[in-house]
Amino acid sequence: MGEWFEQNGALLGLALLDGIASAALIFMVAVGLNLVFGVLRVLNVAHGSFFAIGAYAAASLGLFLASAGLPAWASLLAILLAAVLTGLTLGPLIERFLLRRIYAEESVLQLLVTFALFMILEDAQKLLWGVQPVSFSGPVSMMGTVDVPFAGDVIPYNTYQVILLPAIALLTLVGLALFLRRTLTGRVIVAVTLDREAATAMGIDAGRIYLLTFAFGAVLAALGGALSAPTASLVPGVGASTIVLSFAVVATAGLGQIEGAALTALMIGIGRSVAVTFEPELEVVVPYLIMVAVLLVRPQGLFGVPETRRI
Amino acid sequence: MLELRSVAADIAGAPVLRGVSMHLPPGGLVALIGRNGAGKTTTLRAIMGLLPLRGGAVLVGGEEVTSAPAHHRTRLGIGYAPEERRLFGPFTVQQNLLLPAEVLRLPPAETARRLDAVLTFLPELAALASRRAAGLSGGQGKMVALGRALMVGTRAVLLDEPFQGLAPALAHRYADALRGLHAAFPGVALLVTESNPQLLEPLVDTTYVIERGEIVPDEIATLKTTITKHG
Repeated sequence: MGEWFEQNGALLGLALLDGIASAALIFMVAVGLNLVFGVLRVLNVAHGSFFAIGAYAAASLGLFLASAGLPAWASLLAILLAAVLTGLTLGPLIERFLLRRIYAEESVLQLLVTFALFMILEDAQKLLWGVQPVSFSGPVSMMGTVDVPFAGDVIPYNTYQVILLPAIALLTLVGLALFLRRTLTGRVIVAVTLDREAATAMGIDAGRIYLLTFAFGAVLAALGGALSAPTASLVPGVGASTIVLSFAVVATAGLGQIEGAALTALMIGIGRSVAVTFEPELEVVVPYLIMVAVLLVRPQGLFGVPETRRI
Repeated sequence: MLELRSVAADIAGAPVLRGVSMHLPPGGLVALIGRNGAGKTTTLRAIMGLLPLRGGAVLVGGEEVTSAPAHHRTRLGIGYAPEERRLFGPFTVQQNLLLPAEVLRLPPAETARRLDAVLTFLPELAALASRRAAGLSGGQGKMVALGRALMVGTRAVLLDEPFQGLAPALAHRYADALRGLHAAFPGVALLVTESNPQLLEPLVDTTYVIERGEIVPDEIATLKTTITKHG
């Protein structure tokens, strides 16, 4: 063991940092998916499209601002702006004109509808941005690197991924938890999640909360995507891999769990990057191995509470 | 105050209410009696706008509210205490009580006044204020559900089987409490559902009997009960 560590310590450190960076992004997507499912009771496959479109929009806007001669920090603004615009245009449109029609339908049908939407949006991305990789690395190079001490070694890692991304994810986690517990709108969202009918009888406009929650979830997913844009070239299919990973995170954490989703995102993010580093052929299965292992022992998820289904 | 005109409603395609008409006068105490599955809960849900009606009308203060959004019922001063309490488990008792008032954006003074009235009538709730609703006993939960309904029910409160699940002795005490409630909130009309007619008979102004989704005339119902008893 000691000898192995001597040889591979730096690699392991690198894998951990990769894992933390990707966990931050997965968390942003998973927490929105979780929130939306809790309120709307619709598993939205197209949630991954918000991630992808947010990423492409951020890249386009960032590259445009750079070509217009704006300073490098403007690319960070582009990320935020692209996320908010993507989420607030697509989210409300999809909730109001599509999902609202299928709330009463069976969940299989809902799944098919959101899957169809996902496919349509996937093709729309190819039409708009083509199939060639899009690269937007401005923010990463702008922020430089930081030396991370690990087990006696020093690992230089880019600041954007190892400081900014986790910081934003942490801010989202704390902000969301405070929002849901301390504000009236937050408590109203929780009330609708727990019992829509009782909430309505208390005077809560559930339809408004559905719209609000969905738009909010869309912004979070788009922000995850926009933040991911500078870390890798964008290629078609990025939405699919993200949604599948965030499904795994939500299922492993348990429904309605925010802090739990953060921990599970770390588990799955790190598990995957460790696999990429040491056993690359396991990369794809590791997240699901973690999920299956957890669900075999705790079917309600690591942090979930067993729920009796009301008829 | 509250009127139903030939209200008809289906659940999953099966008719559950077939022309229910009833009247709840201002400040009145009215019982809706029926067996399980007769349509009592559905009647209350129909009043609250929680399910689509196939026909008929719901009127509040003479105004038709049939197609008004369900969440507007609290603005009309109608409170609802569902049969299974339906409290928000992770919230404290106080948060449960205040939620409808906050959603209505009542002025703080008005919220305080209402809370005070509720706590005067249900003093046990003051001690439970900071407890999570999920940890309450059945009886405590019922009290919170009642208190929550009273926070917005300035004109009418609908109580769905408030005695359900209570031991007989406790049920009689609850019946006394209902009398007290009626006296403490004289302007609030109460509509109470129950499967056992004896509990409410001495209290109420009017009794409606519901069978298979229809209101049956009282005399016929009484006759039927007599026949079943003696036959």
